[in-house]
Amino acid sequence: MKLLVIILLMIVSLEAAAIKDVKMTSMTFVIPTEKDTIVIQRNCQWCHSYGYILNQGKQSKEFWHKVVLKMRNTYKAPISARDEVLATEYLYRHFGN
Amino acid sequence: MQRREFFRVSLIASTALVSNSATASSVIKPRDNQQVSDISFIEKRPLITHSDRPPLLETPRDAFVNAITPNNELFVRWHMPRIKTHIDLNSYHIYVHGEVKERLYLSVDSLKNDFEAVSVTVAMQCGGNSRSAFVPTTSGIQWGSGAMGCSVYKGVRLKDVLARAGLTENSHYITFNGSDEAVMKKIESFKRELKIDELSDETIIAYEQNGEDLPFLNGYPIRLIIPGFYADSWVKALVNINVTKEYIPYYYMDTAYRVPDNERESETPLKHAKNTKPLELMNIKSFIGYPTSKSKIYAKSNLRVKGIAFDAGSGIKEVLISLDGGKRWESATLGKELSKYAFREFSYGVKMMQKGRVSIMAKAINNRGESQPFAEEIAWNHGGYKYNGIDSVTIDIV
Ligand code: HEC
Repeated sequence: MKLLVIILLMIVSLEAAAIKDVKMTSMTFVIPTEKDTIVIQRNCQWCHSYGYILNQGKQSKEFWHKVVLKMRNTYKAPISARDEVLATEYLYRHFGN
Repeated sequence: MQRREFFRVSLIASTALVSNSATASSVIKPRDNQQVSDISFIEKRPLITHSDRPPLLETPRDAFVNAITPNNELFVRWHMPRIKTHIDLNSYHIYVHGEVKERLYLSVDSLKNDFEAVSVTVAMQCGGNSRSAFVPTTSGIQWGSGAMGCSVYKGVRLKDVLARAGLTENSHYITFNGSDEAVMKKIESFKRELKIDELSDETIIAYEQNGEDLPFLNGYPIRLIIPGFYADSWVKALVNINVTKEYIPYYYMDTAYRVPDNERESETPLKHAKNTKPLELMNIKSFIGYPTSKSKIYAKSNLRVKGIAFDAGSGIKEVLISLDGGKRWESATLGKELSKYAFREFSYGVKMMQKGRVSIMAKAINNRGESQPFAEEIAWNHGGYKYNGIDSVTIDIV
């Protein structure tokens, strides 16, 4: 009986060694708060963190417009025509060169 | 004036002249001295964190003094935001199927027990490493130069796995993908494709990195390792090997990760090259790990410059150091060659007699006689790939 318990315990721990459960670290990438922050919130955090935006550095308005269009055309982000304009303006306001 | 100097001057002049128009392109030094984050990710020490979802972690400069990058410092790059965080090796398997005689479901245990184990020491580098050097800004993550590393991988030959499944006369291409997924079904997941006759014997499915299980963020439990190639095809958390007769077009093969198919692999911002080719073999590169611009160096003390150099597998022949902006070069001492694909350590001893500011440059030469261009000689491409300009570190001698 004792032996059986030990063997059972061994099997359980072997099984456990074969399972890896990971808690992904999350980090907050802060973007400036203003009236249109919500446009970025509703369009730009489905697929990746705001880190992607911050990483680009200061850029032209045309650059940011192209980014927004790429998200819609290439990566299928459902961005409305109105939000396309607002998001571009927000991005240029805070990350413009 | 030497030809090269003339070239540099004229290039700078021409960029200055047209810098207001969108046709101008140039190359600057990649981002350097980026802060590591306060937070560390699983099995990693704090690294430069570009994103947490998906995780994009870059190794800081001071790690590049050793040929082997410790597991907790190796860079991390995923494409898809949904990474499987519960991995059960009792059910995990790679599915080998398509144009093969027999489909296989291979567990990690069967890879370890039923195939010959092989080890390779290889440099791994993201195709967009140092992308932040390209002006105007090219698409993608603006990496500094730390999206690279070198590890000892243990695993099984991809060829052995394919032989077990049995190839047919219709087996021409292989699609690989990992278990990571996009947020929506209509977004294509990260798939890569290789031509079977281009596979080297050294291409392996690895389950160990530097003697330990693969770190979770580097593709646990198994990933593909393709020595000499940029890491875009080194699929992490590999679950699917689909052998096909015809080439299948995928976004990450046909649109992303391509360079102009011309001699200089270059194009202009207004006129992108029509013909392109996939990123494959890495070009030669070297990088200084010590000193960094934060190091405090005293005049008349002995300074030992240290760094690493690598290429796609011809092997490093020489690393040269310049302290005068690239006019005169002297040989550094090379460390042991761990493998022709590995980082090769170099070091160079010098005593700086004067106080003041000095730039240290490093340039590698490989066994094929190829060398690195000056940063400003690098030609622009819109993906910001394959930067390999001569590295320089500017220090204050106090
Ligand atoms: C439907 C998914 C999705 C949404 C929504 C989305 N993106 Fe992206 N974005 C992507 C993908 C996929 C990439 C490329 C990821 C990679 O390769 O790491 C990307 C990359 C980027 C990059 C890096 C530069 C580049 O060219 O790759 C920036 C900047 C960016 N996104 C900004 C935005 C902004 C701003 C928004 C909101 C207007 C947004 N994204 C919304 C999917 C999305």
